[in-house]
Amino acid sequence: MPFETASVLPALVVIIPAAAGTLIFIVGRFVGGFREALAVLGSAGALAFSLGIGQAALRGGVLTSFRDQFRADALSALLVVLVSGIGFLATIYSLRYMRHHVQEGGLTHTTTSGRLTAYYGWLMLFISTMLWACLSNNVIMLYVAVEASTIASGLLVAFYWDKRALEAGYKYLMLLTVGITFSLFGCVLVYATGANILGGSKGLLLSELKSVAAMFPKTTVILASAFLIVGFGTKAGVAPFHPWLPDAHAEAPTPISALLSGVMIKVAMYALVRTVSMFYPSFAPVAMFALALGVFTMVIGDLMALAQDDLKRMLAYSSVSQIGYVLMGFGIGTQLGVYAGLFHLLNHALGKALLFFAAGSVIYATGARRISQLGGLSRRMPVTSFCFFVGALAVSGIPPFNGFQSKLALFVAGARAGDWWAVIIGIGTSLITLLVFAKAAKAIFWGQPDSAYAPTVREAPLTVVAAMVILAALCLAIGVYPKSVYPPLKAASAVVQTIKTPTPEMVAKHHNPARAQLRSAAEPCR
Amino acid sequence: MTGIRPELVHTLSLLMIFTSFAAVEARNLRHATVAYLFQALLICGLLLAYATQNEALLYWAATALVTKAILVPWFLWRATAGAEQEEKPLIGFGISAVILIALLAAMYKFTHAHAALFVNVGGELASIAEINLAVAFTVFVLGVYAILTRRDAIKTVIGLCLLENGVHLSLVSLAPTIRETALAGIATEVVVTVYLLLYIIGGIREKFGSTDTFQLSELHW
Repeated sequence: MPFETASVLPALVVIIPAAAGTLIFIVGRFVGGFREALAVLGSAGALAFSLGIGQAALRGGVLTSFRDQFRADALSALLVVLVSGIGFLATIYSLRYMRHHVQEGGLTHTTTSGRLTAYYGWLMLFISTMLWACLSNNVIMLYVAVEASTIASGLLVAFYWDKRALEAGYKYLMLLTVGITFSLFGCVLVYATGANILGGSKGLLLSELKSVAAMFPKTTVILASAFLIVGFGTKAGVAPFHPWLPDAHAEAPTPISALLSGVMIKVAMYALVRTVSMFYPSFAPVAMFALALGVFTMVIGDLMALAQDDLKRMLAYSSVSQIGYVLMGFGIGTQLGVYAGLFHLLNHALGKALLFFAAGSVIYATGARRISQLGGLSRRMPVTSFCFFVGALAVSGIPPFNGFQSKLALFVAGARAGDWWAVIIGIGTSLITLLVFAKAAKAIFWGQPDSAYAPTVREAPLTVVAAMVILAALCLAIGVYPKSVYPPLKAASAVVQTIKTPTPEMVAKHHNPARAQLRSAAEPCR
Repeated sequence: MTGIRPELVHTLSLLMIFTSFAAVEARNLRHATVAYLFQALLICGLLLAYATQNEALLYWAATALVTKAILVPWFLWRATAGAEQEEKPLIGFGISAVILIALLAAMYKFTHAHAALFVNVGGELASIAEINLAVAFTVFVLGVYAILTRRDAIKTVIGLCLLENGVHLSLVSLAPTIRETALAGIATEVVVTVYLLLYIIGGIREKFGSTDTFQLSELHW
């Protein structure tokens, strides 16, 4: 049984990067190198405390702060470690990459110093808001935190301030805000119904709501689920709500693209799972709808990725496809399905961050990002090309890399649940993914280099390479030894599944004749 | 006895329909801003009316006054300096008026037929909530309508504000006892989103020469 402990760790994980970001905005313009140091410290501090939360979760602990407003169970712990870990690597990666781009890119909007200050300040706030979303136990504040992460990343998407970046930034903020507002409707419905059963402010707490979700009227469940899936699904990049994603992920600076594709869409998926899965035991069609949407998303994303010539845009569409696999796992709805979904969420975060880092390294060295303009880079950039191949094989689900393990788990879960149609489409889509990456890797790293950049091309700086190598090593290590991540994933998937069926006493206690359609018994999902 | 005056709430709520329509249909962006300002004041009035249920709503009313009725209109006013006329919309006034009437009728019918789906408050509050929800959904859909059919980027931001107002009205109607921390968070994120969107739109005007969203065609799938 999980034991609850009041702790400052969940609060500190959110506060430290937020404080670092605020300090960067205040003093960053005046003390040049200070902003980079603060950003590294802020992200490292968040990672250190996240690991503390992860350790507590592995021991079966649930840490709470601010009277249960922040709550770190095993599911939150998994996401928090992932967000802060990739956030830290993105910060390290940014050190040379962003200075190079700001100095070489001819940014005229404000001074170079001002631009870098804004970049690191928003980066810290972006990481902080994502961590906040993963730790919020308040259903309304969950929406606020998810929307705050959109706000914090809006100017980062438009960072280069040219026509393409501005268009991407406008679409990003507008479409995501509209989409997420739907989830607020869903959160309000959940709260209003839950508060009526639980009474008072308990109706705001996700940890309390899940124990009474089975007593919600069926029609409320349908409406709330629809709003939540559209809202958080938009932010997660679930098709057909994904059109903002390729623009934003492609036009943002590469470390931000890695964060957007690597973790931000996973945070939105977490919010979706945290809220919608509470209805699984009482209303199985919600899971079936999620499964269908997941399969649709994986196919659409890969077909679009196949047609891209822009390297970052291709990676962005691939993220749409892979988030479809994650949703497929949650849609299967069984414990193995949820486990596989979380496993793929973890693996795709690592693999896609690695691929974006490698793409950034190519852009850093050549200044080009059109696949048709690139070629023959493997000899001049051996580490980058190796890391790109690792990421590509991992995301495609080829052994011995981590993506293979999670896709295998997904297909086994689908087969055991009898969802053969989803398994067959999933395997077919994996082959398309492999084709997408094989085509891109061949064009970028084999053949003859373009004479326009060939003489000057060399491997990216140490900080860029280091971030890639760490992620590549993790992709390989998890692929070769998947048991290493079994304990945290098992604990996290148990959180999604431990939705208590209301006992007759609970129903009698909370039953209100005026509220029709209370469900007295919950049916197993499948 | 709830302490709420239903006729006052209904009047304020229904006036939101008119201010929404004016904000969407005014071709002069500053006139649209003024219409939005009036709507923000109506929201503050509604929150004050509901404050008899929950004192936390007094804080939200104060926050809404600062964010919705002062800051957002001020940002919009500044953003429209020198470019007050809206880019020609896709759908004109006549069709919009017909759509509004149809929308309101549909929402009224829907919320009254399915009130039990949403309304979890009891007694007098329930009947007030039914009207409010019809208005809230209409304002919400009008916001979406503005975003979809207006070419001017600033007008789409006004549409976004309307959409948010619709959700906030539903929130206060469905859950009048909600805590102030949640309310402050919701109110604050709106104003920051609007500020950042208008900041980016300023950049769009600088680079593209206008705020016509039809010109945003650099990125294709």
